Amino acid sequence: MKEILLDYEKCNGCMACAQACAAEHSESKSIIGAILEGVPSRIFVQSVDGAPFPIICRHCEDAPCVDACMAGAMQKDPGSGVVTNEGHAESCVGCWMCIMACPYGAVARDPRSGTALKCDRCPDRETPACVASCPNHALLYMDTNVYADARRTAEGRRLLAIG
Amino acid sequence: MATECVTCTQYEVCTSAHPSIQEMYTKTREMGLDTIFDRYQAQQPQCGFGMTGVCCQLCSHGPCRISEKAPRGICGATADTIVARNMVRLAVHGTAAYSHHLEEVAETIKATARGETPYTIGDPDKLREIASVVGLDTGKETNQLADDLADVILAELRKSSGDPLALVKLFAPPTRLEAWEKLGIIPGGVLSEVRDALTKSMTSINTDPVDLMLTVLRLSLAAGYMGLVGTITIQDILLGTPGITESSADLGILDPATVNIVAHGHVPLMATAVIKAAEDPELNDLAKAAGAEGIKVYGSMCTGQELMQRSGSSAKGFAGQLGNWVTQEYIIATGAVDLVMLDMNCSTPGLKSTADHFHTRLVSVDRVVRMEGVDDHIDFKPEKAEEQARELVKMAVEAYRNRNGVTSIPEHQSGVVSGFSVESILGALGGSLDPLLDAVKKGQIKGIAAVVGCTNNRNGHDTKGLTIMRELIKNDVLVINAGCMSSAAEMQGLMLPGASEQAGEGLQAVCQALGIPPVLNFGSCVDIGRIGVAVTAIAGALGVDPGKLPVVASAPEYLEQKAVVDGVFAVAFGLLTHLGPVPPVLGSPTVTKLLTEDIEGLTGGKVLVEEDPVKAAAKMVEHIDTKRKDLGI
Repeated sequence: MKEILLDYEKCNGCMACAQACAAEHSESKSIIGAILEGVPSRIFVQSVDGAPFPIICRHCEDAPCVDACMAGAMQKDPGSGVVTNEGHAESCVGCWMCIMACPYGAVARDPRSGTALKCDRCPDRETPACVASCPNHALLYMDTNVYADARRTAEGRRLLAIG
Repeated sequence: MATECVTCTQYEVCTSAHPSIQEMYTKTREMGLDTIFDRYQAQQPQCGFGMTGVCCQLCSHGPCRISEKAPRGICGATADTIVARNMVRLAVHGTAAYSHHLEEVAETIKATARGETPYTIGDPDKLREIASVVGLDTGKETNQLADDLADVILAELRKSSGDPLALVKLFAPPTRLEAWEKLGIIPGGVLSEVRDALTKSMTSINTDPVDLMLTVLRLSLAAGYMGLVGTITIQDILLGTPGITESSADLGILDPATVNIVAHGHVPLMATAVIKAAEDPELNDLAKAAGAEGIKVYGSMCTGQELMQRSGSSAKGFAGQLGNWVTQEYIIATGAVDLVMLDMNCSTPGLKSTADHFHTRLVSVDRVVRMEGVDDHIDFKPEKAEEQARELVKMAVEAYRNRNGVTSIPEHQSGVVSGFSVESILGALGGSLDPLLDAVKKGQIKGIAAVVGCTNNRNGHDTKGLTIMRELIKNDVLVINAGCMSSAAEMQGLMLPGASEQAGEGLQAVCQALGIPPVLNFGSCVDIGRIGVAVTAIAGALGVDPGKLPVVASAPEYLEQKAVVDGVFAVAFGLLTHLGPVPPVLGSPTVTKLLTEDIEGLTGGKVLVEEDPVKAAAKMVEHIDTKRKDLGI
């Protein structure tokens, strides 16, 4: 199953992902349009002691935000695995339990509607907009097992080189 | 007096090395006022493409940025081309701004020669000396000769790029001229060089990174010999050559009982006229009628340094230096400033958003300076300067009437010894550089470091620069300041003879014997030219090339484009030049290697990039030791 994975060392803080996310979730589907419409990004590039650190929803299997949502707005789609309140946002009461429950701080408040806002993994796109926009390949959209396989090979190569 | 960073226990943001500024920052936060430290934080993280110089925004195909995925721009430009072209654009900005300053002074000399200004030629001896060097008939009377010299300067500014600058030929050490001639970088008229460089850096005109970097070097020589050496020389002729004098610095010098005018910027012409106007009895009566005890003119940034070093002559009555670039909003936030006059360069838009919370009036006093929301303009005109200065004082008195009486002035202040120059040092040493050179030869003074240029809050306001200064003097390296770094040292008391206690044994002994501080105040950022003149004099006295001297340069907190040409000028001059914030070149392997390695074989100088101030100082001391060994001293 494909997930959005991060190679945070490759991130140089250009914020292209945040702009692409806002554009994808705007009416106009453009960066300039998103700015004019006031569309917020759902991916965050945090400055941690000066270093950029991208953070996005992990779409957890056992998602704490879903457990915490008393209104039932936050749900995990059994087919796609996407955790989102899209489609059920009208039942969100704005208690912000999801924000407190998420260990990554990946849920935010939508200033326009006053409901919870988070990554919906771009339902209209094959590759999420943030991943497609990243010029440094710091964001990846791939099968978790393929990723793990590549990691094993890389780690093995590193250890063998040390001897 | 704080000797270390006091910021980190108070806020996550690394802010200022100065307790006064830290105190004011706390106050602005309490007031809900966003200032530079908050805005810096709000900008994080900053884009890595811009930081490494590989973002090109020149044409409508762009912006392009170079990455692993896209190693070339749409036009085919490589990272090397984009970085070098961006460097040319930075250098051309710095060169242009310096030539504006020079032109203002030259025009003011001409108006003064016609008897139309409140100034009189301040250093007729220097006028005759320089006039004779450039081949003028020195038999003429002072005003006529000053007019002739100003004409020479204006002609040099405007001549073609193919006609080599006379000032380079006349003032540069012969060994330097040889190196520069070999590289083909001896510039012609400054304005023509600016035109050529701007043309080269347009889309698809010059895309060769090596030629573009040679253009940067060429611009730096134009800026160095005209914008720096030329400006200080004719400014000395007009306003007087600095003499050693005592002054004071930091926010604690603000007097809550007087009408307070702050001269902020770089060009001290209007400010000098305002200091004179502030002594006018009629205007003082006006101030008293408004309830004030008098009128005071303070300095901020380089204009303040210019006034301070001449506070024994043309700027008599100067009330002291408040701070440097980063401090400008906090000066206003004391509530004790009635008027800030903005002359050329370094007035941030943040001044206006801070001034809006107070009664403080902002007035631009240079035709090129405008700021959104600032509607008062009294553009300096030499022949109207007296009248304009009176108008500014009246505006300040008017603003004082609107003061609500509540001021918050930090108590911190320090004494300063100022006004060092080749001439004043020679005067103090009895007409010869020998006592100083002997101390260098004997090793009491290991070497000299010019710690100059801007301030920056990238690593804490003045924190990095002050750490480097303290490390260097501890290692018996005499420090010379110019620009915002001067304010940093002034506010921390490093420019008092007593600061020699912080120096190593050798330097301490020399400072005590000569009665000088271990950190010498050479003045404003334009006075980097004064340092160039001093290094040329030392090289001449020892009969060696400047590149062979135990001399280094550091711009530990460089910020803007004038500092870019200053730094490159020092490299062209043959000096190891430390830069604090990493310049936007790392995206180009060619330009990075050229500046940090290859250029040493061409000019003798090179860039040292080291963000850790203690390590940077150690590397500079190591370089000085190597140079000493090579000279056999």
